[in-house]
Amino acid sequence: MNAIEIRGLTKNFGSKQAVNGLEMTVPMGAIYGFIGENGSGKSTTEKIICGLLVPSGGRVKLFDRNYTDTDVRAKVGVLIEAPGCFSNYSVYNNLMLQAANLNIENPEKEVVKVLKMVRMEGAASNKYKNCSLGMKQRIGIAMALLGNPSLLVLDEPINGLDADGMRIMREVLMEITKTGKCTVVIASHILGELEKIATHYGIIRGGRMIKEMTAEELNASCRTYVALQTRDMNRSKMLLGSKYSRVEEDEAGYLRVYDATTPEGIVTYLYENGILVGEIKTDKIGLEEYYIDLMHEKEGR
Amino acid sequence: MEKTNGVIFERNSFGKRIKTMLKVDFRRMFTMRLVYIMAGICFVMPVLILVMTTMMDGGVSVNPQTGVETAMEGFDNVWQAIGSISGENSGMSMSLTSMCNINMLYFIAAVLICIFVADDFRSGYAKNLFTVRSKRSDYVISKTLVGFTGGVLMLIAYFIGTMLGGMIAGLPFDLGTLTIGNILMCMAAKIFLMLVFVALFVMMSIIGKQKLWLSVLGSLVSSMLLYTMIPMLTPLNSTITNVMMCLIGGVVFSVGMGAISNTILKKTNLV
Repeated sequence: MNAIEIRGLTKNFGSKQAVNGLEMTVPMGAIYGFIGENGSGKSTTEKIICGLLVPSGGRVKLFDRNYTDTDVRAKVGVLIEAPGCFSNYSVYNNLMLQAANLNIENPEKEVVKVLKMVRMEGAASNKYKNCSLGMKQRIGIAMALLGNPSLLVLDEPINGLDADGMRIMREVLMEITKTGKCTVVIASHILGELEKIATHYGIIRGGRMIKEMTAEELNASCRTYVALQTRDMNRSKMLLGSKYSRVEEDEAGYLRVYDATTPEGIVTYLYENGILVGEIKTDKIGLEEYYIDLMHEKEGR
Repeated sequence: MEKTNGVIFERNSFGKRIKTMLKVDFRRMFTMRLVYIMAGICFVMPVLILVMTTMMDGGVSVNPQTGVETAMEGFDNVWQAIGSISGENSGMSMSLTSMCNINMLYFIAAVLICIFVADDFRSGYAKNLFTVRSKRSDYVISKTLVGFTGGVLMLIAYFIGTMLGGMIAGLPFDLGTLTIGNILMCMAAKIFLMLVFVALFVMMSIIGKQKLWLSVLGSLVSSMLLYTMIPMLTPLNSTITNVMMCLIGGVVFSVGMGAISNTILKKTNLV
């Protein structure tokens, strides 16, 4: 059974097509990184999954049931844009309201539990309006975690979080998906952070899913490269460019040789041409670079 | 409870759903400072109106340019602040006593309900709510009932304020041809009529969503049409017929408006 199964989803806002025949499959227990440019349709898709937007066409199923099913809806936790909290209520009271909406049997205990999970137990009595952006994001996560959801839909949950906040968020998501009973969909632009936790990826562009893959598949398709620094970078680039098909200079000032299998051949080749290599290493392109490459490929660059 | 591939689905009955929704909405409504401020205004307003109009009663002001004299007419009786006897004043009459009475509260209720509903959408609370609850009808029923309670609270505050204002102003409590039963029936009819207005305000608020100005404007304009009917439906000499008419009308109207509100919520985007 898949947690989410979307077929041919479309959503129009007037004449603008935000989602255009989207196909998406999120297996149970996955941490699904939902990636795409601004305006690619990520948030729209997430809002449809949460029942907040009415789709123009297509089919959405959650746990093999219609996504509007009352029983299914109670199993979804959400953090889209900002947590829906009343600014003059305390953090605790906001969470108690949502606990009541979810018919949680022992709401006090449950609220304390989720506050502990996001390390916010000390701020329970603070008014929501007095909380920092990072705190608000954590409150949003706590709210989404209420009632042991089987599906968490998060939109940019790590925005505004400091390094510690990101770590906490990572730990919480790993913890809740450990048993395989909870599935998480995260839309985020912070790909480096997403790469640390995601088990599956979906890349969306212009309202269409252009790639869906597992973390293993991403690893396999991420090319290795040799990065090096020399005293004469321009000449090195010219020399290596004549021997290898793709040589680029990266932001950190390294020359990247993509189709070299080992560094030894490069070191020898440059040495023979009178250039000494100062530093050399082999590395693999990450999610961010994979994504950028894929986008360039789609643009035909 | 149903278990499918490790996911436990809990089935909640309509009764359980509506009970928790009402609990949340009542808690929200009565922790809103605005409710108490508005109830306070509804209490103070008739006191001020009755005292001031009594002080100005009989006074004549002359327009220095035209020389036209305007005589100030106050209330003759405390009950005039609650309503008028049928046939005595038509709803279209623009006299002070026909305008400054309890019927103004239907407009104040519009503001309260619009703020109450718009807050759900402006804070993002509606996002949390509608993600976990797909039955839009629960929301409409709950808002209508809670809004109705708020409206009734204001009517009662105004009624008490009228009694106090009458005493301070020294106005007669003379019932004349009326009985205390008529006054109580009039109040009961006004209370049930509130249901009609609340259903309308909830619908306008759902149309406006986070746009409070649109909800308030829509509510005030649409209720203007119904406003003229209030003196006719709830006169001071109301009988059980008036009460039943308002009760049945209130229920029928709120069910109809509720169905429209429900459809709007189902068919439109919530964020």
